[in-house]
Amino acid sequence: MKVEEVMNKKIEYIEPEATVYDAIERMVDKRIRSLLVNPKDEQDVYGLITVRDIVFKIINKNLNPGKIKVGEITSKPLVCVTKDMPIEHVMALMEKFNIARVIVCEEKKVGGIVSIFDVMAGSLIEKARGTRGA
Amino acid sequence: MGLKNLFLGGKKEQEVIDKMKKHMGLLCSACTTLKAAIKNRDEDLLSNVSDLEREGDIVRREIVSSIYEGAFLPFLRPNICRFVEIVDNALDVTKDAAIEYTDLWLDEETKDDCARIADISAKMCEMLLVAFGTLSGPDDLREKSLAIRIYEKKIDEIKFDLIKRLRTKVTKNFWEGKILSDFIHDLTSTSDLIEDASDYLQIINISLR
Repeated sequence: MKVEEVMNKKIEYIEPEATVYDAIERMVDKRIRSLLVNPKDEQDVYGLITVRDIVFKIINKNLNPGKIKVGEITSKPLVCVTKDMPIEHVMALMEKFNIARVIVCEEKKVGGIVSIFDVMAGSLIEKARGTRGA
Repeated sequence: MGLKNLFLGGKKEQEVIDKMKKHMGLLCSACTTLKAAIKNRDEDLLSNVSDLEREGDIVRREIVSSIYEGAFLPFLRPNICRFVEIVDNALDVTKDAAIEYTDLWLDEETKDDCARIADISAKMCEMLLVAFGTLSGPDDLREKSLAIRIYEKKIDEIKFDLIKRLRTKVTKNFWEGKILSDFIHDLTSTSDLIEDASDYLQIINISLR
């Protein structure tokens, strides 16, 4: 199965100057676990902020999410994959870098996002279809 | 001979099983046709969905008649009939969605989401066919059923976003809003019914043990 079949094309973006509290609100409202962080300027690159970052870097350290900027805890650079990449390759990347999300890049643009849950679901569907070894 | 072999039984049973596969195949074709019709705004394809539903009605009548003529052990018959009815209901709502779409003009984003829902429904239907095959084979029904639930979850997510977005859309009059609401409801009901049919397969599978 290819990345294209499991990726999510709906991506939510946030500015690096927004507060972590803004990011939390957005995640709760949209029922998502990560936000793509826009570049600060032309020299900058996209980043990613996840629930995991917020819990470990802010909440667990008793820091105030309303006073910390998203840009301060953003993970960069992003691990990118292509639409035609097999999901087995994505799994290997996730394991290697110990991450739960990769970005689908198309000619320097963000085309989608693939979470570890999407990969698991895709893999189970592939197995049920009988196109993957039991 | 185990009960699983009894499920296949004799000639009558095999005939019914073949017709049930044909019935599910018609549902898969209806979903695939609806997807293409939505994507390309094709009126001919939309009317093909109605033709497939009518053909499905004929096959359903034949299946039910064969069952009442004595195919399958009596304790299996109600669940098999119920399964066939659910697949038929899925065909009905797919046809209703196709009819409603003839009166709708959707923006590109909504159209893409609707085509994606029809595409996932088609994939669910293909998986239902694979799951049905496990009743007479060694494969695990549980994993096919899980795949169907994963697909259904995906449709739910798209539906949730779609409805949220459509609530902000201004409609010209009551009927435009009603047709749009009915269309989304029917389009997303196909997958609900396929999931129900998959649950019934589990019941049939348990009763075969």
